[in-house]
Amino acid sequence: MILSDLVDAAVYEDGRQLGFVVDVRLALDGPVTGLMAAPRIVGLLVSARTSTSFMGYERTGTNAPAVIARYLAYRHRGTFLVLWEDVRTVGGGDAAGSADARVELRPGFRRWSAALEQHGTASQA
Amino acid sequence: MKRLLGVALGVLTAIGGFLDIGDLVTNSVVGSRFGMTLTWAVVLGVIGICLFAQMAGRVTAVSGRATFEIIRERLGPRTAGANLVASFLINLLTLTAEIGGLALALQLASSVEPRLWVPVAAFAVWVVVWRAKFSVLENVTGLLGLTLLVFTFSVVLLDPDWAHLVHTAAAPQIPASEGAASYFYYAIALFGAAMTPYEVFFFSSGAVEEKWGPKDVSQSRLNVLIGFPLGALLSLSIAAGATLVFLPQQIEVSTLSQVVAPVAEAGGKVALAFVLVGIVAAVFGASLETTLSSGYTIAQFFGWSWGKFRRPSQAPGFHVVMILGLLVGAGVLMTDVDPIRVTEFSVVFSAIALPLTYLPILLVANDREYMGDQVNGRVLNGFALVFLVLIVVASVAAIPLMVATGAGA
Repeated sequence: MILSDLVDAAVYEDGRQLGFVVDVRLALDGPVTGLMAAPRIVGLLVSARTSTSFMGYERTGTNAPAVIARYLAYRHRGTFLVLWEDVRTVGGGDAAGSADARVELRPGFRRWSAALEQHGTASQA
Repeated sequence: MKRLLGVALGVLTAIGGFLDIGDLVTNSVVGSRFGMTLTWAVVLGVIGICLFAQMAGRVTAVSGRATFEIIRERLGPRTAGANLVASFLINLLTLTAEIGGLALALQLASSVEPRLWVPVAAFAVWVVVWRAKFSVLENVTGLLGLTLLVFTFSVVLLDPDWAHLVHTAAAPQIPASEGAASYFYYAIALFGAAMTPYEVFFFSSGAVEEKWGPKDVSQSRLNVLIGFPLGALLSLSIAAGATLVFLPQQIEVSTLSQVVAPVAEAGGKVALAFVLVGIVAAVFGASLETTLSSGYTIAQFFGWSWGKFRRPSQAPGFHVVMILGLLVGAGVLMTDVDPIRVTEFSVVFSAIALPLTYLPILLVANDREYMGDQVNGRVLNGFALVFLVLIVVASVAAIPLMVATGAGA
């Protein structure tokens, strides 16, 4: 599986569609391989209404130009972070991973704030 | 003193390098059909390119990243890939138009059939891109391009009714002989000619080539804010010349010899010699810029090493893309296609593609993670957002207007 398989995938809980994967959040805290720490998947960002990009406005310090920031926040209202441990299955897509990729969440999973803390600013979510 | 000279050189090359075949042809056609009534579109275009180039230059100077590196980083591979395809194809169209314009200019100077000039022109562009130093190619073509000021002198020599010219520019009315659709189609063409995307690819990548840092931001701002408006004055002079010579006789400009006719009429052979040197220099400069831009966009997207500051053997992909771009452009021109028509299409498609590069630059210019304290201020963002709306409107309206008017015919 590669990251592109996950991005755009439809997200379900108990057969009910919750939205689409718009981003995959990674942490660079794995064992050092070569020059860098290996990335680890923290979780998926799930947007309820659109599979288009957040364009970086999920970071809390990024809010200019205000018109664009507000529009994107509105497009992505209700976006949440679901931890990778709460993802039950990933599949349903074809080999290329494009068509109908499907992510099934564990029932009773927890929704985390999608905001990404930046420069020590407080989370507003 | 050295710094002052640097500023002067930068401003002069910005003036001389402002015009390309798209500006030359579009302004002349518009002058012959609409007089000075579309001056507002040139003014909007030059304000837009000042905003855009200034933001792109600052983003590159502060972050060290050129336009397509940013687009790839910010939009992700898929959206950026679609953006790359559109931007690259439109740049290729512009490249084709510039090489064709170069061949037409050489034809005017020599009376040798333009299709014989196409391979020579493409080869000359390649040799310079392969061998010449970046600063040399930019400064020589920019300074020689200053001879285009003869367009402005010609307007004075033609002794126009200034009050009437200024009045038609300041209180524009659609001429009775033209429809509103054609009028706005050419407004978009003028806007696209002033705000061609390659200018920004070239400007931002050029900032990397010349190793700009944050301390160079103020100089780049001066180059842009003084040089581009003076360049636009040349655009308006071309339109004014065509207005004076062709509009009263209802002759529509459709060849490069007509573009220079007002200069020949006003100043005779000497003026004509100056304008031909200027056109060859300006269009050759633009051919270099579009050729380099084809390499810049692809290499930056795929993360290849790029740039004239490297030897060709250190940036092979970059040079191969440019060679292929020149071959395709020259190949297209060897068919029956009319370079002037290619130019007319290239400026409109430039307007269509503009949001693709403008939006990412605007977003990154506001991003503290890249820019630190040098993010856009409130006033600048206000203007930038107004232009975002204008750019999107022009982009969306261009295709319906192109269909409705039969591409301005």
